[in-house]
Order: sequence, then C-alpha cells, then structure tokens
Amino acid sequence: MIKNYIKIAWRNLKRNKTYAAISVIGLALGITCGILIFTLITYHLSFDTFHRNSNRIYKLYTEWHEEEVNKAGAVPQPLGKAFRNDFSLSEKTARVINFHDNLITITKGNVVKKFREEQGVAFTEPEYFDILNFPLLKGDKKTVLVQPNEAIVTEKIAHKYFGDDNAIGKVIRLDNKLNFTITGILKDLPANTDRKQEIYVSYSNMDQYTDKEREGNWGGVYSGSQAFTLLKPNVTVAQAESGLAELVKKHFTGRDLKVWRFKLQPIADMHFNPDLGGYADKKYLWALFFIGVFLIITACVNFVNLATAQALNRSKEVGIRKVLGSLPHQLFWQFIAETALITIVAVIVAVCLSLLALPAINNLFHSQMAFNGQELTVFIVIISLVVIFLSGSYPGLVLARFQPILALKSKLSQKHVGGFSLRRILVVTQFSISQVLIIGTIIIVSQLHYSQTTDLGFDKDAVLLLPLPQNDKVKLSTMKNRINEVQGVEKVSYCYGAPASHSNNTTGFNYDNRPEEEHWSINTKAGDENYISTFGVKLVAGRNLFKADTVREFLVNETFARKLNLKPQDVIGKTLSVNGKSVTAPIVGVMKDFYNYSLHTEISPVCIYIAPDSYSSLAIKMNMRNAKVSLASFEKIWSETFPDELYSYKFLDDSIREFYEMDNIQLKLVEAFACIAIVIGCLGLYGLVSFMAVRKTKEIGVRKVLGANISHVLWLFGKEFSFLLLIAFVIAAPLAWWAMHNYLQDFKYRISIGPGIFLISILSTFIIAAVTVGYRSITAALANPVKSLRSE
Amino acid sequence: MLSLQHISKYYQVSGLKNFVLNDLSLEIDEGEFISIMGPSGSGKSSLLNIIGMLDEPSEGYQYFVGNAVHQLKEKQRSALYKQYIGFVFQAYHLIDELTVAENIETPLIYQDFKSAERKAMVADMLDRFNIVGKKDLFPAQLSGGQQQLVGIARALIAKPKLLLADEPTGNLNSKQGEEIMELFRKLNKEDGVTIIQVTHSEKNAEYGSRIINLLDGKVESSKQL
Repeated sequence: MIKNYIKIAWRNLKRNKTYAAISVIGLALGITCGILIFTLITYHLSFDTFHRNSNRIYKLYTEWHEEEVNKAGAVPQPLGKAFRNDFSLSEKTARVINFHDNLITITKGNVVKKFREEQGVAFTEPEYFDILNFPLLKGDKKTVLVQPNEAIVTEKIAHKYFGDDNAIGKVIRLDNKLNFTITGILKDLPANTDRKQEIYVSYSNMDQYTDKEREGNWGGVYSGSQAFTLLKPNVTVAQAESGLAELVKKHFTGRDLKVWRFKLQPIADMHFNPDLGGYADKKYLWALFFIGVFLIITACVNFVNLATAQALNRSKEVGIRKVLGSLPHQLFWQFIAETALITIVAVIVAVCLSLLALPAINNLFHSQMAFNGQELTVFIVIISLVVIFLSGSYPGLVLARFQPILALKSKLSQKHVGGFSLRRILVVTQFSISQVLIIGTIIIVSQLHYSQTTDLGFDKDAVLLLPLPQNDKVKLSTMKNRINEVQGVEKVSYCYGAPASHSNNTTGFNYDNRPEEEHWSINTKAGDENYISTFGVKLVAGRNLFKADTVREFLVNETFARKLNLKPQDVIGKTLSVNGKSVTAPIVGVMKDFYNYSLHTEISPVCIYIAPDSYSSLAIKMNMRNAKVSLASFEKIWSETFPDELYSYKFLDDSIREFYEMDNIQLKLVEAFACIAIVIGCLGLYGLVSFMAVRKTKEIGVRKVLGANISHVLWLFGKEFSFLLLIAFVIAAPLAWWAMHNYLQDFKYRISIGPGIFLISILSTFIIAAVTVGYRSITAALANPVKSLRSE
Repeated sequence: MLSLQHISKYYQVSGLKNFVLNDLSLEIDEGEFISIMGPSGSGKSSLLNIIGMLDEPSEGYQYFVGNAVHQLKEKQRSALYKQYIGFVFQAYHLIDELTVAENIETPLIYQDFKSAERKAMVADMLDRFNIVGKKDLFPAQLSGGQQQLVGIARALIAKPKLLLADEPTGNLNSKQGEEIMELFRKLNKEDGVTIIQVTHSEKNAEYGSRIINLLDGKVESSKQL
C-alpha cells in the first residue's frame, strides 16, 4: 500500500513539475529558516551552561539607586575579597580583573614578536578555575596563579605565540610592564561562553600593573573588575545579598549608604541581561522564534493552498479509487504520503541550504555556531511531522470526502473543494506576515540611516584616532609637532577619547562649591585646547580652554546647564569639582550638545578639561585627498615614538558605525526574513491565481464571447487580489506599528513612524503581487474562448 | 441476488421534489444479464449508482445478497461492495498515473491482498485478456477499446459476483463495442457473473437476458429474452 502511495505520489509530482517545485521551494525556505533560527536560539541558550553546579554560580554586580537605578556588571575591586573573608556563604569566590587590547611581547633570542590581544588579559585569583569549568590541559590546578608572575593561556594562544614548542616555562611580557611565566595551558574555550579571555595572569601582580592602589578603593567601579562566587548548596540568593548589604554598611558612609547596592546575577542570566552587558536580549530571541514560526506557518499555508487548488485535478483519481473500494482514511493517508514525500525532499533541500547559510550567519554575528547533530535531528523530525500533518491533513480531508460520482462526472465544483474563502484567508495571512516584515525593514533602515546621517553635534568625517600607549610629556609634544608637519593634517588633539566613544568615565560632582554632590553624574572627557576644533564641537557660550599642562578650566555642555536649570551663560565662571573633589576649576565655556553615546542613549552632561595623564588617543583631523601618504607618515612617526608598541589606527566614522553593529545585524536578519516571507507569499499567490484561472476558465470564455477585452478579464483577477492585499495591509499595519514602536523605544533619538513608510510598504507589496499574478492571469485572459467552452 | 422495493430518489429544488427515480421496484437474480435502457434523464445511471451503493436512495428498501443495505453503515456498505461488485465506466476512468498492470492491481490493494498474491492475480488477468504486452503502458498510450478492456479487467480482478457497466461501449466504435459485448456474454455464461449494463444501443441490449426500459424514473417495461 505504502509503495503504491509513494509511486503515485512520485508520478504525480513528476507530472506537475511547477506545482512540485513551488511546494518544495516554499517549504524548503520555511524549514531552512526554522533550522537556522533553531540553531541560533539553542546556541544562545547553551551559553555558560557547561559549568558544573552552574545553578549555584553567580556573578556579583553593582546597582546605584539615585534618580534612576543604574546597573553595571562589575564591582569595586575589594568586594570579592571582603565577601570571601567576612562570610562563609560561598564555597569559592574569585576576583577577575579584565583588560582589553593589551600588547603581548615575546622575546626569543633576538627576535621580538608583538601581539595585540583584543580580548586582553585577566588578572585572576586561582579559585576562578574552581568555580568555572575551564579545564587545564597542562599544569597543576592546585598551584597555578598562586604565586605572582604566573600566566596560563589557552592552547590556541600558546600555539599562536610559540608554534609547536612547549609553552610551559616561556615568558610573556604584558604592555611592556610585567613579565609572566606560563605555568598552565587551558583547553581552548568553547564557543558558547561569554568568558572570552584567553590569557590569565596572577592576581597578585594587579597593583604593579595599574600603578594605583585599587585594592582598597570601594568608591570606583572599573567595568573589567568582576567577581564570581559559588554559593554553598543550601544558601539562598537572598541570604547572600543580605551579606552584601552588610558590606555596604561597613564600607560606605553618608549618602552612599543608600546609593550603593551589590547583587548576585545567576550565571545563566549573564548572556541575556543587556543591563549587565549581556549580548543576546531574550526579547530578540523571542522575536526570532516567532519569525521562525511565522515563516514555517506561511510555508505550510502555501502548501495547503497549492494542494487544495490541485485537488480538482486529482478528483477523478480520487473518485476512481473510491469506486474501487478505497476508504476515506486510506485516501487520507495517501495524500499524507504525498505530502510526506514533498516534505522530505524539502527537508533535504533545507538542510543543504542551512549548511550553506550557516557560515554567512556566523560571519554576520561573529559567532561560532555549529549544527548540534542530536538536537537538530530531533528538531527536524518534529518539524517534518508537524509540517506533514499541518499541510497534508487539510487537502487530505477535503479530497477524501469527495462524492465519488460527482468526481467521476467532473461535476465537482468550488464548494466541494473547500472554501475559496479559506484560501483567501490563508493568502491574507501570508501577506500580513510579509507586510509586517517589510514595514519592519523599512523602519530599521530609516532609523539606521537617521543614526548615520543625523548631525551628531561633532564632525566624524576624516578624523583619525591613534592610540597612546604612554603619556610621556616629551614624547607627546615631539610627536604632535612632527604630525602637525605632515601634509594634509588640519588639526591635532590629545584626548581620552572622541566625543562619542565606547570608553567613558562618569563621576559625581559638586557645582559652585555646593557641599552636597548633585544627584546625577557627569561624563568627564580629557582633551587639550584643540579638542573642540579638531572634532568640530561648537561653543554656545564662553570661550575655549586655554593651553595648559594641567586642569585649569572646564568646558561643559548644554545638557549640564539644563539639568541644573540654568542658562548656558549662567554657569560660566562657576566652579566645578569632579572625581571626589580632587579636581576643581572654573567653567569657562558651554558647548553645544553633541551625541556622546549612540542614538540609543540619551545625551549626558559632559565636561572637558586638560589632563595629560588621562590622554589615551591622538585625534587628527586630516584632509583625505592625500590620505595614503599621510597615513604612512603617521605610522612612521608613531612607530618611531613608541618603538616597543604595535601600531594601529581607526577612523572616527568607523568606530561610530560600531555603535550600530547590532542594529545592522538585526537589519540584515529582518531583510532576509522579509525576502523569504515575500518569496513564500508570492508562491502562494501564484498558486491561488492558478487555481482561480482554472476555476474561471468558463467564465472568462463566456465573457470573451460576450465581448470582454483583455483588460476586463485581467480586472477579474486584479480586483480579487487588490482586495486581499488591502485586508492584509489593514491587519499588518497596526501590528507592525506596535512592534516597531517598541523597537524604536531602544533609541532615545529616533525617527517617527510616518504614513510614508506604510505607503511604501503597500506599494511594494502591490508591485510584487502584480508581477506574480500578472503572467498567469494574462495567459488565462488570452486563452481562446472556443477551447475553454468546448470542454463543457 | 438483489431486490429494490419502492425506491425513490429525488432532489429538493425550492420546496419541490424533483424525482429521478419514483417508487421503483426491481428484483434481480444471480446469473442474469440485464440491459437497462431509456431516454436521457430517465434515471438509468441513478439506478445503477444506487445498485452499486455509490449513491443512496431518498426512500425505499434495498437488499443485496441478503443484507438490508438501507440499514448498513457506510463502512459495512463499502465492505459489501468491495466484495461483490465491479464497476465499468463509459469513460473507462483509469488512473492516468498508473500503468495497465498497476491499474488492474489497485482494487486488490484496497482488499488487503498480499503483494505476491496480487502479482499472480494480475498476471492471470493480463493473460486472460491478452494484454500482457501492454502491462507497462500508461492509459494514454492505449486505444479506447484497449482502455475499456483494462477497465473491465480491473473490475473483474477481485472476482465480483456483480458487474455494473454504465454505457461500457459508449465511447467505442462498433467493432470494439461488439468485442466488449462478446466478452460480457462470455463472462455471464461461463463465469456466472451477474451483469447489469446501461446502454443506449438496442443491439448491445440484446446481448442480455432481460431488458428493462425506464421512463421518468419508473420501470416502463421489462422484457425477458
């Protein structure tokens, strides 16, 4: 029986190649998206789940309860130690202080090799490796990192530095400051961890490295300063957090007692909590999940559409089979078998497509996802069964219920094949989904365009940033003079960072000698007297900073004045104290507001002052006409100034683009899904119009005999589809508005969703639909009426 | 073999009953070869469909080999006719996607014969109808007469007691038609298959043992030959 089903299914598909192709392509696209989205979601859900006791591992984080609650996934450096020493709530607690973009130097004989490590180096207490499951391949876990000047690196790093030589016992030099001897080799990190550091060094060298006594500083939080703890089995989070509250009481005074809170973040939350630096917001995973479900539904809908439209052609066969003794359920299973065949072919195509697409997606996300054979097989089997029954049962039921005599006499009509209205609903569903995605795409594109073209309040074009590894005064002034002489250089400024930057310092402050700190903090930017001219920042009141070697004066921005409820000119001449009153100076100018973060974040109060110790960048405003020559000169001058360091540069507009990396990824995904939804939708539309063409053959024949011309006939189709698309639009528009309104909430500065966007969406859908429907309806309209009427 | 008592079949059209069969009664014995005749719209095909249990009468009692058909459930009816009845159509109604051999085999599939058994029965049938050479051809590759031959072979494969034929020669030329009628006669005489055929042709009707004339849904005359 099964053999017979499959045989007839196969021959049917061979005969109706277009139908088979449309069904397979539609399903394959849907399933491909399903597979990829499944892989993506399971990949993210698997983050840091491989640690033993992962339900007891927590990361400590800080909250500041001021006007609003701010959070950071980092803690003051002494917190971890205090928590370990003062309480016995945890089995292990470890501090790990991460630094990024470090320079590692390896000396072998006379050869010096330099490596820039973007993921950087972590000063780590040995307990770290008891808490998190990163196994050592070589070295003794009991002794590594216990003594100062020890390092452990991953296999990958060891191989990168030393090739096939044994790395144990070799020396690496960090930022030309400290030497570490490698005493352990870690197994390479799995792809699904957010702990990306590959070089760990002894925690006891921390003070030497930062030159400052950070060990006792409770008042500052460096974003890389983290602590992990493994709670004892019967200790609750609440108990641990009340312990942390006691630490606040012990180490803070005055207003800080109310402001500072320390909390525990479960390790499972680390990957998903955007407030604490998590990468994958669960909101977006859910959105993806629903997009995947939608696409699979559209693909199934498509299939149902086509299959029931085919049903009339199959009615004779069904009739005969019934007369020959087939029971309805046997027919039902026959059609299920056919669906299964199509689905299996589609699944095979989909698996191939997914294999091809995965590298592109990994590239897009900078991830290392791989197909997890076991889980994916289960997923594919389940999805195949769902698809088979979802899309096979309706046509199967419809066909199995045919009245055999009617079927044999070709008297079956529309009403027997199951509502045309059902098919309409299905097409409306598909087009609603594609229109939501189209509107989404248009809005994301507009927002990104807006982010990249809006006046940021400073000049981001043709500004080059060079890093400063050292702040040696003599070196800096020589370098500045030499660079000023390079042809094409317009302005040069030493600074901590560009007006909009990933690295920021914020601090509490006292205004106008008020005894209490204000309840909001200020973003401090170190920069010299050329800062505002180099970056094209404008003044609205007062004057620029005078040249100086140390802090004499401040520039602030309009937001600062506004937050104090003052006019810009009113703050001129008043004093400002920042960094725990260690720096106090008068305000001499007010800058026009500029976006100091991305458009996701509100403009914050900013002050700029001269502080050569804090400079870490050299900004060069240049003429791009001779960029190549100038860039070569910069490299030469820089390398001569810092012979031990590794040269690198970055254009400001590139680094600003990085703010929108996630947005660009989202855009590409939504674009891809919109395209696929449109393709699947069009396939469904094509199926529907084919069906209509068959159904209306007689009507068209009669109309033509009565004198209708082609355009009349085309309108028969046109009005049907215009109507369906309009309904789809009416459903899609509010949904899309709602979804995108929520999306735009992530931007503090955003476009408004205007009618134009909806207009573009519906217009493009109409054009796409017209093209799809056009060919089939024109052939129907052109058919010779004599032929279509004769068959009656 | 079968008995129809006071059978009516009507369609309700805006409150009025439009009778296709009107209080018709008929007894048919095993071994008969009956030709049903009558003008278009006299109810020939409806009668045949009701006898073949493809359609249900609106009123009346129907008995088939001792079963009260009007009381049976769909499943039991289906089982009954699978066992006893073979159908031959004017338009042959072969499945276009299946070969000659597969078409003939199909009824056996629905009666749960084992694959080897099916193969043997199909081979016998092909042999008997002299169409062994055509077994792998598709219906579109055969002439009308050959297609009808396949249709009959398919109707007979499950060894039915009753063969129902709705204008079996309607689409054939006279020579092909004669061959089919000869075949029917032979089946009736030698194998004892009861045959009921609907026909327009006086000449073909005379192959039967009884001719029943229908008019307006009633038996107008019944003539034993």
